[in-house]
Amino acid sequence: MEGNAADPAFPCSITVDIPFPTARLASVALRALRVDKELSPLVSRDLSAVAGAGGDDSETILRTEYKATTNRMLRVAVNSFMDSAALVVEVMEQLDVDVLAQQQQE
Amino acid sequence: MPTPPDILSRPRLSLGLEGSANKLGIGVIQHTPNQPPEILSNIRDTFVSPPGTGFLPKDTAAHHRRIFVLVALKALRAANITTSQIDCISYTRGPGMGAPLTSVAIGARTLSLLWNKPLVGVNHCVGHIEMGRCITGASNPIVLYVSGGNTQVIAYSSNRYRIFGETLDIAVGNCLDRFARTLNISNDPAPGYNIEQLAKAAFHSNPADISHKSPKTREPLLLDLPYAVKGMDCSFSGILASADILASQLYVAAKKQKQKNTDEDANPKFTPADLCFSLQETVFAMLVEITERAMAHVGTSQVLIVGGVGCNERLQEMMGTMASSRGGSVYATDERFCIDNGIMIAHAGLLAYETGFETPLEDATVTQRFRTDEVFVKWRDD
Repeated sequence: MEGNAADPAFPCSITVDIPFPTARLASVALRALRVDKELSPLVSRDLSAVAGAGGDDSETILRTEYKATTNRMLRVAVNSFMDSAALVVEVMEQLDVDVLAQQQQE
Repeated sequence: MPTPPDILSRPRLSLGLEGSANKLGIGVIQHTPNQPPEILSNIRDTFVSPPGTGFLPKDTAAHHRRIFVLVALKALRAANITTSQIDCISYTRGPGMGAPLTSVAIGARTLSLLWNKPLVGVNHCVGHIEMGRCITGASNPIVLYVSGGNTQVIAYSSNRYRIFGETLDIAVGNCLDRFARTLNISNDPAPGYNIEQLAKAAFHSNPADISHKSPKTREPLLLDLPYAVKGMDCSFSGILASADILASQLYVAAKKQKQKNTDEDANPKFTPADLCFSLQETVFAMLVEITERAMAHVGTSQVLIVGGVGCNERLQEMMGTMASSRGGSVYATDERFCIDNGIMIAHAGLLAYETGFETPLEDATVTQRFRTDEVFVKWRDD
């Protein structure tokens, strides 16, 4: 994890970009995940939805920027976030309105 | 968005999500005008840890995340509804264990956003109380709420469930569960259940005869354990420590026997079954006392027992003896409802939603500490 000269108090940082199929899903993930505050004052997190690298302007990527005082704190926080994000993705995959409607037709 | 004014004139549905401890419960309830509430589905999955261990927050949260979708799908299919029929998504705001609570709240928020349905954060204790009232029909009882995480004596007054008495340290269920660890009893289906069965075995010379139909062949030993009632409150950490000390005598004796170093007189004269029996008799007597004190104060003869420990038949029996001596009765629910479940959250959530209550997404957090009397019980007008 590279040192972040802009914020010497939180030298360890990482940015995680998770691509979603649509801007709607990225927005759902963003709004569901940003509600919980980080538990430790030694960790700071910033969530946003950004546009992908392609020409399309739609914000399909969930960007998570983590900063922490030590690599260990960073690792713990990011791992925990990934677990939560995985749940969100699984819920989208199997419990979204269109998925459930399709299952009921079968 | 505010509750539409015509909501009470049509059927309403809520999906309830509960995960404050090691049970993930998801259910769907329906409130129909002029009819009793109907349970459309009630699905639960319990995270059981190996004997001698308790369930830790991180592992419990991982369990809830792992099976959340599976249990939710089962609940929806069993209820045979579409998401458009749901009025609100109720979830456990607290109290409870942090990581498990959060894992379920994340699922709840995601569903709320995907389905475009409002969220209602529910107090776990109020969920137990409202489900108990609904199932048993008890109109205004003293409520004894006893579980692995909570021990409270509650009475309703002026739109709040007031705590009359409570544990000063650990919950009675926690005391029983930790003692199960000391004795290395299985946690499947629940440590408290296995302690109850072992306590029944104290009445039989052959430990295998624990069915009700077997005649009792032995007088169980009531061992001397500290009885800690303090006014309206009680305390369980001291009795647990004493029980652990007695249990260690059993281990020392067993160890000596293995080393062929037996001194027959050094063998304790009691069995693990006697220990379970004595622990139950003592802690349940304490609960009966503080419940009776509250009943005398309020002037009611009805007792409603809710929470996982409420499944215990000996506790129900002792409470029933006390209640009938006062000309009253004890109300209890079966394990579908006294053990943590999603239906109670759906029910309490829907009751609140019907009064116009809603939790905005940004405030849809969880909290480990959430007092029962913090909730404004707007849906009752008595």
